[in-house]
Amino acid sequence: MRWIPFVLAAAVVPVFLGPGQLTVYVLLGLSAMAVVGLSLLMGYAGQVSLGQASFTAIGAYTAGLLAVHDVPPLLGLVVAPVAAALAAVVVGVPILRLRGHQLAFATLALQLILLSVLGDADWAGGAIGLQGLPYLSVFGFELNEDLHYAYLVLLGVVLTAVVASSLVRSRAGRGLRALATAPVAAEASGVPVGAYRLLVFAVSAAFAGLAGGIYAFFVGYLAPGSFPVLLSIEYVVMAVVGGLGSIAGAILGATLITLLVQALTSLATQPGMPGYAPGVLSYAVYAVLLIVIVLFVPRGVVPTLSRRFRRETSPGRPAPVDPAPARARPGAGR
Amino acid sequence: MAALVQYLITGIGVGCAYALLGSGLVVIYRVTRVVNFAQGSFAVLAALTVTTLLAAGLPHGLAEVSAVLLAAAIGLLTGLVATGRPGTTPQSALIVTLGLGVFAYAVEILFWGDQPRSFPGLPGTVAGVQSHYLLIAAVTAVVLAATALLFARTDLGRALTATAEDPYAARAVGIDVRRMGLLAFVVGGALGGLAGVLITPVQQVTFDSDVALVVNGFSAAILGNLTRPGLTLAGGLLLGVVQALVGGYGSTSYQTEVALVLMLAVLIVRAGSTRAETA
Repeated sequence: MRWIPFVLAAAVVPVFLGPGQLTVYVLLGLSAMAVVGLSLLMGYAGQVSLGQASFTAIGAYTAGLLAVHDVPPLLGLVVAPVAAALAAVVVGVPILRLRGHQLAFATLALQLILLSVLGDADWAGGAIGLQGLPYLSVFGFELNEDLHYAYLVLLGVVLTAVVASSLVRSRAGRGLRALATAPVAAEASGVPVGAYRLLVFAVSAAFAGLAGGIYAFFVGYLAPGSFPVLLSIEYVVMAVVGGLGSIAGAILGATLITLLVQALTSLATQPGMPGYAPGVLSYAVYAVLLIVIVLFVPRGVVPTLSRRFRRETSPGRPAPVDPAPARARPGAGR
Repeated sequence: MAALVQYLITGIGVGCAYALLGSGLVVIYRVTRVVNFAQGSFAVLAALTVTTLLAAGLPHGLAEVSAVLLAAAIGLLTGLVATGRPGTTPQSALIVTLGLGVFAYAVEILFWGDQPRSFPGLPGTVAGVQSHYLLIAAVTAVVLAATALLFARTDLGRALTATAEDPYAARAVGIDVRRMGLLAFVVGGALGGLAGVLITPVQQVTFDSDVALVVNGFSAAILGNLTRPGLTLAGGLLLGVVQALVGGYGSTSYQTEVALVLMLAVLIVRAGSTRAETA
């Protein structure tokens, strides 16, 4: 229950935020949800996905299309993660047999195909997208203020974190951890490797889909351009910075990157700064953080810090020697 | 019929550029086992450099060659960052090159802005086709043949091939494996830069064109499992021609899907057949 103070703190914060800051809070939370999923996938299933934003898009368009066709928004929000998970199962069966760079390019290809299909699809509004989506309403109560969405997103983050941590502790989670450390031994001991990988893929897609569903109602319009490849890369940066396979790391990574980029953007939009400054600075920050963390803090920030903390608080024991550095297998547990 | 010939030549021209890009990926992958996601950025950076050099008054030819040399230097830098730190796995190096590709965005927007750019290629038409397409094909043929000779006939090329085949044994006979890896990045950078320089007169380039370029290059190279230069050329040409035919007789909006679907199909079929050895 260590996380309860953090949730309480996160619940107090929105009260003190202005309108623009609340938007940042909501978008941060949505990223965190997608990144928790991606971090599970990359950390436990050892798969690099460059297409996580496609599941955000699927969730968002599912919720948006249902809302446009007068389905109650709450139902749309519930269906969004389900649709994303189903899509993940359908594409996951063939592509999860791929490893490493092959899966990276396959997921990237799937996202490019999805964006191109959405851009051509009249039923999805084409390149213009869906506009005038209603606010989310829950049993007659309409969520029409940013503050409402801040709490909805907080609820979403807690939900994904709880689901993710119970998945990690479940039989499937233990199996996957065994798999990351010793694939052959795990398979030989009867870990159903393929099924577990597919499960994690579907769950991670569902998280992104839920984030997409909330995004649709929060922003009120959707276009293929809302879910660029860069969004997928942004998710990867957040997951890698926080620490792959760490739920707290995913949330911290999303928070760090969002706040940093936000601070740089407000710096770059000061009078006197050139018009290209926000883009240049945010790309540079993503790039430098990603490279520095992968090369010098390969476990990510949270697992590295918690390991160091544990080492310092137990002075009697010598520091545990890691038999195989994590860099050799970024997917290994914590 | 005239239209068909036109589509074929256009497709071959564009396909050659994909093949060059894919060959760069192959050279780097064979020697270092790193899939270089920044391969498309080499092309974009070189192409944008040419626009600047031409504007500064450099003649055609010199501007293009300088840009390719710059791309080779950027290839070296990429190699240093992605593989310079001992113990970096190919998987981590892939993510590092992804980061370098994003870093290139910052540099490109800083110097060239975010609007599409282009520059004139070889003027004139032959049989109703821009002669620039023929130039692309000719340059590609010469360069790929020279690369093949480099690998097959020179000591340096043999050292590179030896490193690709068995890094441990290569080290045992005194080959500097790390230097060979960096050299592969230089060659890959030059090939990527050349692809960008050749294709930009017929396809505008934007700072984020690199994703489409690297995906097409990867699709071409994956036909040869990222290790076979000949199949990479075949894959690039196939891709270019099919895209030109789809664009000509069908709809241009399906052109990108062709490469992607082909790549996915090849990947999945291959994963099914060689599962035991890669798992």
